[in-house]
Amino acid sequence: MIATMALPPPDPEFVLRGTAAPVHTLHFSCRSQEPEFPILFSGSANGLVQIWNLKTHRVDKTLDGHGGKSVYWVETIRGRDELLSQGRDQKICLWDLAEGRSMVTDSVSMDSVGFCRCSLLKMAQDRWLIAMPADDPDEVQVLELPSKTSVCTLKPEAGAKLGMPMCLKLWQPGFGACPFLMAGYEDGSVILWNLSMGKMLSRLACHQEPVMSLDFDSEKAKGVSGSSEKVLSVWSLDEQQNLKVHKTHELINSGISDVTIRQDRKILATAGWDYRIRIFGWKKMKPLAVLDFHTATVHCVSFSDHSRPSERLLAAGSKDHRISIWSLYNQT
Amino acid sequence: MAVFDTPQEAFGVLRPVCVQLTKVQTVENVERLQAQLQKVNAAALQELQEYVLFPLRFTLKTPGPKRERLVQSVVECIRSILSVTCVKKQDLLHELFSELCTCLSSPSGLKRPPPQSEEVKLTVIQALQALMHSAYGDILLSLYQPSTLPHLGFAVSLLLALAEQEKAKEIRTSALKCLQALLLHCDCQEYHRLLDKEESQRCGDLFASFLPGISITLSRMITGDIKQGHMITVSAIKLFYQTVGFIMADEQLRRFPEKKEKPRVEQSRIADLMVHRGPDWVQSTADKLSLLIHKIVESSSVHQHWKVRLELVELAHHLMLKSSQSLVASVGQLLKALVGLVNDDSPKVRSRSSEVLRSIAEQKVITENRALADVLSENLHSLATALPRLMTSQDDQGKLSTLNVLLGSLKLLGSKMNIVLNSTAHLHRLSKALMQVLELDVTDVKIVEERRQGELPASLQHGLQKGQAQKKYFRFFTDERIFPLLQQVCRVLGYYGNLYLLVDHFMGLYSESVAFRKQAALVLNELITGAAGLGLDVLHEREAAPSMDDLKGTITSILEEYTDQANWHLVTSTEEQEEANDKLAIPPSRLRALTEGAHSSSHVLSSAAALEPNPTIRSMNSNIWQLCIQLEGVGCFTHALGKEFRVLLMSALYPVLEKAGDSTLFISQTATGTMVDICQACGYGSVQQLISENTDYLVNGISLSLRRVAHQPHASRVLETMLRHSDASLFPLVKDVIQDVLFTLDQSYDSQAASFLRVLHSLMAALARWFVLARQNEQQQGAQTSPGTTQLPGAIPTAATTTGQDVERFFLDYVKQKQIAEGNLPDMEEEEVFPATAEEPQGNDTGAEGEASLPAHAQVAKDVMERCIHLLSDKSLRVRLKVLDVLELGVTVLHPHDNHLLPMAHRAWPALVTRLINDDPLAVLRAFKVLCTLAEKCGDFLRQRFSKDVLPKLAGSLSSQAPVSARAGPVYSHTLAFKLQLAVLQGLGPLCEKLDMGEGDLNRVAGTCLVYLSARQPMKLQEAARSVFLHLMHVDPDATWLLLNGVCCPHRYPPPHASLRPVQLSGMGRPRGELTDNVLHLLGELEQRERAMLWPRTQGAPEPHGPPPP
Repeated sequence: MIATMALPPPDPEFVLRGTAAPVHTLHFSCRSQEPEFPILFSGSANGLVQIWNLKTHRVDKTLDGHGGKSVYWVETIRGRDELLSQGRDQKICLWDLAEGRSMVTDSVSMDSVGFCRCSLLKMAQDRWLIAMPADDPDEVQVLELPSKTSVCTLKPEAGAKLGMPMCLKLWQPGFGACPFLMAGYEDGSVILWNLSMGKMLSRLACHQEPVMSLDFDSEKAKGVSGSSEKVLSVWSLDEQQNLKVHKTHELINSGISDVTIRQDRKILATAGWDYRIRIFGWKKMKPLAVLDFHTATVHCVSFSDHSRPSERLLAAGSKDHRISIWSLYNQT
Repeated sequence: MAVFDTPQEAFGVLRPVCVQLTKVQTVENVERLQAQLQKVNAAALQELQEYVLFPLRFTLKTPGPKRERLVQSVVECIRSILSVTCVKKQDLLHELFSELCTCLSSPSGLKRPPPQSEEVKLTVIQALQALMHSAYGDILLSLYQPSTLPHLGFAVSLLLALAEQEKAKEIRTSALKCLQALLLHCDCQEYHRLLDKEESQRCGDLFASFLPGISITLSRMITGDIKQGHMITVSAIKLFYQTVGFIMADEQLRRFPEKKEKPRVEQSRIADLMVHRGPDWVQSTADKLSLLIHKIVESSSVHQHWKVRLELVELAHHLMLKSSQSLVASVGQLLKALVGLVNDDSPKVRSRSSEVLRSIAEQKVITENRALADVLSENLHSLATALPRLMTSQDDQGKLSTLNVLLGSLKLLGSKMNIVLNSTAHLHRLSKALMQVLELDVTDVKIVEERRQGELPASLQHGLQKGQAQKKYFRFFTDERIFPLLQQVCRVLGYYGNLYLLVDHFMGLYSESVAFRKQAALVLNELITGAAGLGLDVLHEREAAPSMDDLKGTITSILEEYTDQANWHLVTSTEEQEEANDKLAIPPSRLRALTEGAHSSSHVLSSAAALEPNPTIRSMNSNIWQLCIQLEGVGCFTHALGKEFRVLLMSALYPVLEKAGDSTLFISQTATGTMVDICQACGYGSVQQLISENTDYLVNGISLSLRRVAHQPHASRVLETMLRHSDASLFPLVKDVIQDVLFTLDQSYDSQAASFLRVLHSLMAALARWFVLARQNEQQQGAQTSPGTTQLPGAIPTAATTTGQDVERFFLDYVKQKQIAEGNLPDMEEEEVFPATAEEPQGNDTGAEGEASLPAHAQVAKDVMERCIHLLSDKSLRVRLKVLDVLELGVTVLHPHDNHLLPMAHRAWPALVTRLINDDPLAVLRAFKVLCTLAEKCGDFLRQRFSKDVLPKLAGSLSSQAPVSARAGPVYSHTLAFKLQLAVLQGLGPLCEKLDMGEGDLNRVAGTCLVYLSARQPMKLQEAARSVFLHLMHVDPDATWLLLNGVCCPHRYPPPHASLRPVQLSGMGRPRGELTDNVLHLLGELEQRERAMLWPRTQGAPEPHGPPPP
C-alpha cells in the first residue's frame, strides 16, 4: 500500500453518461453468478432509476416511478429481483425486476420532506427492517418488510432539540441479535438507538453542523460521519454502549455528502462538495487518495459487492450528471 | 457397290484374287484383294477369315528380302481384315502375333529402332493393335502364358523402343496405345473382357518381368524433352501408372504366397525369366520405383501444359488407390504432388486435385491408415525444418510450389497437425520461415509523405464500401500469388491448429522484437480469420470449432496488445516527432508523474521510444505498416466475431477512430476501411450510425484521455473523426466532451494549443456545416425570387419620371449621405438598425430566440471564439494561422445571432488588426480573409474601425507594392507578396460594399486601385482591380464614373442647353495610356448597367459637379 501511495491518483475506469440529471444515489448488484452481469442502479434528480449493465456500460432499463421527483436511495432485496427506491415524492416504491419485469408492486408513503435516506437490514429469509424518517420531523420510524408493520417509532426526549434525522444506519452486532440504529441529526449529533426497547442508548455531539452521512463498522464498533463542515469524525462504541469520539480528521474543503466503508473494512470513501472523492485507510484514517474527476458536487459513493475482490469497483455519482467508476486498492 | 452377304458369294469373289496373290506377290495383287474385301460384309468375311489371311501371311513368310511397299500393303490388308473379324483360334493368334512382330525385327537387336520406313512401322503397330482387339477374350488370355513370355517380351520392348526413339509423333503415340492394349489396359471404346482375380494375378506375374524396362523407359519419356509435345507425355504417364498400379496392386501382392512354386523342369528357362512377387521383390521394386516416381513428379508438376499436370493428379490418385501399401515410400511424393496441385493455375487441375484429395481424405485413407498419417506428418516435419532455408534460397516459383505443398499437407493432416505444432522446435521453424518470408518492404518514401487532405471522399460518408486491405510489398518475393497462399497457410493453421498455442507463440514473437512485429501481426490476423472459419477452403470439417467465448477472449487479448501504447502510438511523421520533442521540454519528473497509471511501465517505455533521436524514413514507414496491419487486424477480428464484436467496440473503436484522424493518408485510409469492416460485421448501416450508436464509449475515452497530457492529441483526433463522419444529431452527445476540451485547453494554452486547435477547427467546420450551411441552403431556395421582384418596381417608376423631383431627391440623398459619412447624425443608429432587421426576416426569429437563450451550438461557437481571441497573438505562426481559420468559421456559425457576434467582433478586433498590420504575410493573408467574412456578416458595424485601423495600412501597402508588381516578371505570381496583393484587391470590393463605406474611404480605395488598372500589372491583379471598381459602381456609380472619366474620357458631352457651360472632364482628349484599356472596359460596363436599369444616362447624366438644371 505504501508503494501504491506514491503513485498519482488513477483515472476512472470508465464514466457512465446519460442520466441527464444530477445523480443522487448508487447501488451495485454484482454478487450473482456468472451468466449474469454486474449491474449498477442509479437514482437521479429527474426521478428515474437507471439500471446500468457494467459489461456494456450502457443503460439496460430505466424505471420511472417517482413522478419526476428526485430519487435519493435505492437498495435491492432478494438478489436483484426486487428493488426499493425512495423518492422526493414521499414514496418508497418496491419494484419487481425478476424475469425482465419492471413494475411497482408495493409502495410505502412517508410524510417526511427531508433528505434523510432510509436504511435496510435483513433480519431473516424474506424479512427485513427498514428505518425511515417518520411523520413527526424529529422521529424515526422502523417498519418490517414485506408486511409493512411498524416495529417502533424512535422519538427523542422532549427538549433534546436534535432537529430532523439526516442519515440512518441499521445494524446488528451479530446475525439474529437485537438490531440497533445509528442516526445522525440536524444538530450535528449521532445517536445510538436500541430498537427492541425503542430507547436512546447514547448520544454524541460530534459536529457543529448537520450530519450529512455516516457509516458504521459493527465488527470494530467504530463509525464515521461527515457533515457540511471541514471535519470527518470517527467515533467508537464501547462495551457500555457509549459513543466516544475516536478521532477527527480535518479536510481542506468543507462538505461531505456521503461516506461509505468498503465491505472488507479496509478503506472508506467520501463524496465531497469540493467535487472530489477522498479515499482513507479505515484503520488509521490515513488519507490514501484524492480522486479528481467530477466538475460538480459529488453526491454519493458506493462500493461494489463483487464476489472477487479484484473486480470490486467504486462508483461516484455527481451533480455534473456523470457516474465515475474506479478500480482502487483491490489487489490485496 | 454390290455387297456379298453370304460366304458362298464372297468366296466366289475373293478366291481368284487370293489365288492370284499366292502366285504372284505384288503390291497390285494385294491392293486388288483389298478392293474386293471392301465388298464383303463382315459376317461373310469372318467365315473366310483364315482363307483370306493365308495368302497374306504367305507373302510375309516368303523367305528372302521383301520390298517395304509390299510388306506395308500386306500388313495394311491384314489390319483391315482383323478390324472387322474376330480371331477365334489360339494358334492363329499366336502366329499372327509373332509374324507381325517379326516384320519389325531388326538385325541389330533391340537397342536400335528397326530400320524400316515410318509407314511400315505405323502400319504394323496398327495391325498389332487390331489383332489385340480382334481376339476373343479367352483366346487373348492364352497369349499371356509363361510360355509366351519371350514373345511378349519382344513385343513389349519393340513397342517401347518405337515409342521412345521414333521421331514421328504418330508412331510414338500409337506405339504407346498398342502397348496399352498389350498390357490389357486399353482405354478405347470397344468391349474388353474384364479379368477376374485369378487371371489378373497371373497377368501381373507375367508383366512383373517387364516392369523394370517399362517403368524406366516410360519415366525417361516423361521426363524427356519438353518439345515432344504433351500428348506423348500424357499417354506415357497414363501407361506408367496403369502398369505400375497393376503390377504393384496391393490386392494382388497381399495374396501372394511366401514361397515360390516349384518350377516345372521343362520350362526352367522360361521360369527363370518369371518374377516371383514376394516381399523382398516388392521392397526392392518399390525402392526403385520411388526414385522414378520422384523424378516423374518433379518434372511433371511444373510442366507447362495443364493436361500433363492433370494426368499427374490421376497418377497420384491411381497409385494411392491401388498400391498405397506397396508403394508406401512414394506416398509422400504423391501427396506432395497432389497438394501442390491443389493451388494450380488451371482450374481443371485445381478442382480435380482437390476432388482427389477430398476423396482420399473422405475415405479416411489418411486418418485411419497410420502409415500415411505418419508419412504426412513426417513430410510436414521435414518441410518445417527446411522451410526457412527454402524461403530464402528459392525463387518465386519455387516458393510458390513449396508453400503449395505446405498448405496441402496442412489441409490433409487437419487436426493432426497439432502433433507437429506441439513440438517447439518445429513450430519455431515454421514461424521463423513465415516471419522471414513475410518481411515487408519498407523503403517506399511515398507512404510516409502522403498526407491526408481535408475531408474524405463523399462516397465513404454515404454508402458502405468494402474496406480493402492495402497492397503490401514484400522484401523476399514479388509474385502476387504468394501472399494469398501464405494467408491460406495461416488460416488453415488457425482453423485446425491449437489456437491458444499458436496465438501464444506468435504473440511472443510480436512482443519479442520489432523486426518480427509486423509479420507476427499479419499471421495473427489470419490465424483468427481461419479460426473463425472464414476465407478458407478445407478438405474436411474440424472436429471442434473454438467457442465464441474462446475466440472472443483470444481476440480481446490480441487487441489489448495491438492497442497498447507502445504498439499503437508510433512515430509516423516528422511533425509528430516535433510534437514529441516539444513534450520533452516538460520536466521529466512531471512527465513521469503524469504518465504513470494503469499502464505505467509500458508508457514510459513508449515515450522513451518515441523520443528516440531522428527516426529514419524507413522506421517511419515500418511504423505505418505496423499500424495498418494492426488496423486490418481489427477488421479481421470484427468479421470473425460478427455482432459479438459490439461488446469489444468499447475498447476497440476509440483507437480505430484515432487512426482515422491520422494525418498520414495511408493510415487514415486503412482505419476508415476498418470502420467500414466494423459496420458490416456488426450490422451498422453506415459509419455515421456506428459512431452515433457508440458515442458513449468514444466520449468516455476522450474525456479520460483529455486528463493526460500525452494522450490529448489522440483524444482530439478521435473527436475530429467523430465530427467529420457525423451530422447534427451528434452534437448533443458530444457537447459534454467539448466542454471538457475547452476546459483542458484553458489549462494548457502554451503546450497543447496546436493540437486542440485542430479539433476546434473541425468542430467549428462541423457546426458550420450542420447548422449554418444547411439553413442557408433553405434560405437560398426561399429567396430565389425576391431580388427580381424588389428591383423591378424600383427601376420602372424612376424611368418614367426623370425630372426635377428626381434630381432633387438625389441631392437630398447626397447631402444626407455626406452627413452620415461625417458621422454627425444623432439618429443614425436607429435608422441603421431598422433596415438591418428588415433585411433578414428569416434570421429574425432565430435572433429573437438567441436573445433569450443562445442555442447550444452557438454557445459553443462563442466559447471557442473566446479562446481564439486569446490565441490570436500566440508565438507560433502555425497556431496563429489555425486560429484565424477557426475564427472565420466561428463568425459563420455565430452569424445568425448578431447580439452575440457583434460584441465578439468588438473584442476580437484589436488582435485581428495586429495580425493585419503587423505580422507575417501569411498571417496577413489569412487575417484579411477573416476580415472579409467578418465584414460580410457584421456589415457596417465595422465601418468606422476598418476605415480608421486597417484601410490606411492596406492602401499604403497596395500603393507601395504597385510599382514592384508592375515591374515584376512571370515568377512574381508565385510569391507571397503577389498572393497578398491579389487577395486584398479581390476582397476590397466586397468589403466596400458590405461595410457601406463613406465617400472619403471609397475615394481612397479607388485611388489606390487605379494604379492596378495599369496594363503593366499582372493580368490577375488587373482583373482584381477591375472587380474592385465594379463593386464601387454598385456603391456609388456617379463618383466612380467621374473618377474614371478623369483618367480617360471617350465621349464628348455637349450641354443640353446653350446656357449651360460645356462639360470639361480632365480625362478628355488624353492620349492613350497604360490605364486606358481597363478604364474604357469599366466605363462600358457601367454604361451597360445603367442602361439595364433603364436610366437614360446617355443623354446628359445627372452631374454632381455640374450646375443644377433649371
